[in-house]
Amino acid sequence: MATVDLWAKEGYLSTPDGNSIYFWGFAAAADAPAQLPGPLLLARAGERVTVNLTNLLAVPVSLVFSGQGRIEAGGGPARPQYDPDGRLFSFTDVAAPDGGTMSYSFTPAFPGTFLYHSGANPPVQVPMGLYGALVVRPADYDPALPAYKTAYGFGTGTEFDREYLLVTGEIDPELHRATAAGTPYPIHRFKPRYWTLNGRCAPDTMLPDGVAHLPHQPRGAMIMAQPGERVLLRYAGAGVDSHPLHPHGNHTRIVGLDGRLLQNGTADLSYKRFTVLVNPGQTYDQIFQWSGLGFTPENPIPTVLPNIRNLAVGEAGWTMWSGSPYLGRKGDIPVGVVSYNEAGEYHFMLHSHEEVKITNWGEFPGGMMTMIAIFSSLDPGVGVLT
Amino acid sequence: MKRGSSPVARRSWTGLGSRDRLFVLYPKKPGGTYPDFWKVRKMALVQANLWAKQGTILLAGRPLAFWGFSADAGGAPTLPGPVLEATVGDTVEIVLQNPGFAQPVSLIFPGQEAVSVLEAGGGFRRVAPQYRDGAIVSLADYLEPEAESSLTYRFRAVKPGIYLYESGTEPEIQVQMGLYGILIVRPPGHDLPGHPNYQTAYGAGTGSEYDRERILVLGEIDSRLHEAVAQGAAYDILDFAPDRWLINGRSYPDTLAPAGDPGLPSQPRGAGLRVKTGWRVLLRIVNAGFQHHTLVLGGLTGRVVAGDGFSLVSPALDASYHKSALTLGSGQSYDVIVVPEAPGEYFLHAGEYHHLVNDDLFPGGMMTKMEVVP
Repeated sequence: MATVDLWAKEGYLSTPDGNSIYFWGFAAAADAPAQLPGPLLLARAGERVTVNLTNLLAVPVSLVFSGQGRIEAGGGPARPQYDPDGRLFSFTDVAAPDGGTMSYSFTPAFPGTFLYHSGANPPVQVPMGLYGALVVRPADYDPALPAYKTAYGFGTGTEFDREYLLVTGEIDPELHRATAAGTPYPIHRFKPRYWTLNGRCAPDTMLPDGVAHLPHQPRGAMIMAQPGERVLLRYAGAGVDSHPLHPHGNHTRIVGLDGRLLQNGTADLSYKRFTVLVNPGQTYDQIFQWSGLGFTPENPIPTVLPNIRNLAVGEAGWTMWSGSPYLGRKGDIPVGVVSYNEAGEYHFMLHSHEEVKITNWGEFPGGMMTMIAIFSSLDPGVGVLT
Repeated sequence: MKRGSSPVARRSWTGLGSRDRLFVLYPKKPGGTYPDFWKVRKMALVQANLWAKQGTILLAGRPLAFWGFSADAGGAPTLPGPVLEATVGDTVEIVLQNPGFAQPVSLIFPGQEAVSVLEAGGGFRRVAPQYRDGAIVSLADYLEPEAESSLTYRFRAVKPGIYLYESGTEPEIQVQMGLYGILIVRPPGHDLPGHPNYQTAYGAGTGSEYDRERILVLGEIDSRLHEAVAQGAAYDILDFAPDRWLINGRSYPDTLAPAGDPGLPSQPRGAGLRVKTGWRVLLRIVNAGFQHHTLVLGGLTGRVVAGDGFSLVSPALDASYHKSALTLGSGQSYDVIVVPEAPGEYFLHAGEYHHLVNDDLFPGGMMTKMEVVP
C-alpha cells in the first residue's frame, strides 16, 4: 500500500433490534458510504504509508495512528492543534470542516495490529465512529510461502493459515441522538446500549461481509476454519470499555500486544489465555487452533444428536448447529427445514464474557458475540484480510 | 531529593518541602575492595508524619472539598498525599495524626508485609482489622476522631517498587475523598553515582535505569460525593458516578502546571514532562481510583519493566514487554521505560475518551503532555 484515501462522513448504523443510529465514520471513496469501523488499512513494515483525509463533516477531524512514530501531516511533523486561545482541540493536524483535507504519512517500523482514530474532540468523535484498524505486514510477508505467511515475520512462530480482525466498540445511542440534534450530552455519563464487533451487533456479526442491507457495516465477524488450522485472531479495542473476549472450543495463544511481538531475544513470552481482556486503545494478536474432540476426517466420533426442540433452526443454511459436531455429517432435518448448515459445519461461540454485553439494549442474544465455524473443507480464500 | 557520593546523604522523606528530614549513614569498611557504598547499607529508620485534614482542591478552576494527608501540622493537605520514600532494608515509621479531623482514620500499606502498630503502652504489635459489635469498622488500627494522640505504623521496606498507601477506615468514602498517597521503595545505592543500582527503580540488571522519573497517579472524583460528604450530608456510595478524572490530583491543563504551583496549594505534583530524545523516561503509573484506567502513551511505545512493584526482569528471564497503552485496575501499578526518539509534543491520556473532559468538554481530565526536545 502506498496511498489510501479516507473520507469522514455521516451515515446510519443498523442494529438487529431495528434501530437506526446516526454516526460518523470513514469511507473508502467519495461516493462510498461511511463505515464502522473505518476501512482496514493494510501496510507493510518499512514501506511508506500516506493517508489522505477529506473531511465532509461540519467539525474538524484528524487522524491518530497508534504505535506509529514520526508521523508527518501536511508535509511536516504532526503537531497538536490549539485554537487562538491556546486551547487544545486536536492531538494532530486536522482536515477542516466541510471539505477540508489533510495528508498523513509514516513508515511503520513494526508489523502487527494497530488502531487509527480521530484525534479531534475524541470524547465525541471516537465513540461516534471515527475509528478503524491498521494491519502492518512483516517486511518479509509472502502469503504464497507458509513460512513467510506470518504476523510478525519468518521464524517468529506466528505462521497462520487464515486471519480475522475483530474490532470492539460500544454505542451509546443518546450520544448519537444528541450529536445529530446538536443538543448537549453529558459525556461523563456515557452509557452504552449496544456492543459491537466490527461495527455490528449479534446476530449481524455472523452475516457475510458486504451484505446489502448493512451498507455502513460491511465487515462481518464470523470466524471460519478447518480443524487444526492456525487461525490468527486480531483483537483491537477501539472503544472506551474493557471487553473480556473468549472463544469456546480452544484457548488462544497471545503472540503480540499493541503490535509488538512477545519475544525478548530468544525468550518466547507468548502465553495462552482462556479469556483476553480487550482494553481501550490496545490490540491483541493471537493464534487459535481448533483441535476439538480429537477430530480427524478419518475419525468422526459419533455423538447423540440434540433434541430438535433444543436447536436454533433458521432459514436454509443458517441453522447454528450442524446437527452433528462431526464435520460433514448431517443429522435428521426438522419438518419444514430444507437443510441444516450447508456444509454441516460445527459452530461455537466467541463472545464477551460480560453477558450484559451480549444483548442489544438488554435483549439477549445480541451485542458482542459471534460464532466460530469449523468446516471439514473450506476455500482457501476464506479468512483473508482485505 | 539530593544525590551525592558522600557517605552521608541528606534526604527529604516527603519530597514536598517537608521540614522532616533525616540523615542516612553508610558504614565504611576499612580495607574493602569495593567502594564503601557497595556494601549493604546499615538499616536506617525513616520517619514521616501524615496529618489527616480537610482541604480544598481546584479542578478546572472550581474549588472542591477533599480530605488529604499533609506532611506537617501547619501544611495544607495534598492530593495525592505526600510521597514517602524509603530504601530496601529501611524500617519505616509513619506517624498518623488527626487532631482536627472529625473522622476516624487509619493507614494501610498494600504490598507491604508485616505492618505493625505502636501500642499505647509501648511496643509494636501486628496491625489488625478493627471490629465494633462484631462488624468491621476499619481494615487496620485507627485513630479516633479529634484524637489528641498519634498512631505510629511500622514496617520494613523489603523490596523495591511503587505502592499506594491509603486510609483503611470507611475506605469507600475516605479513599475517594483523597486519603491516599504514594510510597516508593528504592534499591540500595539508587542515589549514589557509580553504584550499579544508581538511578534504577529495581536495581542493576532489571532494565529500570532511568534519566528522568515521573510518578503518574490516576484517579477519578465524583463531585457530588465530595460536596455531600464535606457537608456531612448523606451519600449512597452505590450512586458513585465520577465526573472528574485526574493525574496527580490535577485535571488537564493544570496537569502541566509546575510542581508546587502556588495557585494549586493542595495539588503540588505536576504531571508534565520535558525530556530529551534518547532519554530513558521512567513512568511510574499507579491507579488510586476505583475505576479501571487506561493510559495511552500518546503515540509512544514503552517497555513495561515492572507490574505491581514486581520487576519483570531477572537473570533467568527478561519478561519485560512493549506497550503503547496500559490498563490498570484499581490499586495496580506499572513501571514503564519510554525512550522518545523524535522531538514533539506527546499527549499521554486516558484511553477512556470520555474521561478527557472538564465539565463534559474536551480538553480536560486525565491528560498530560510529554514534550520531547532534541
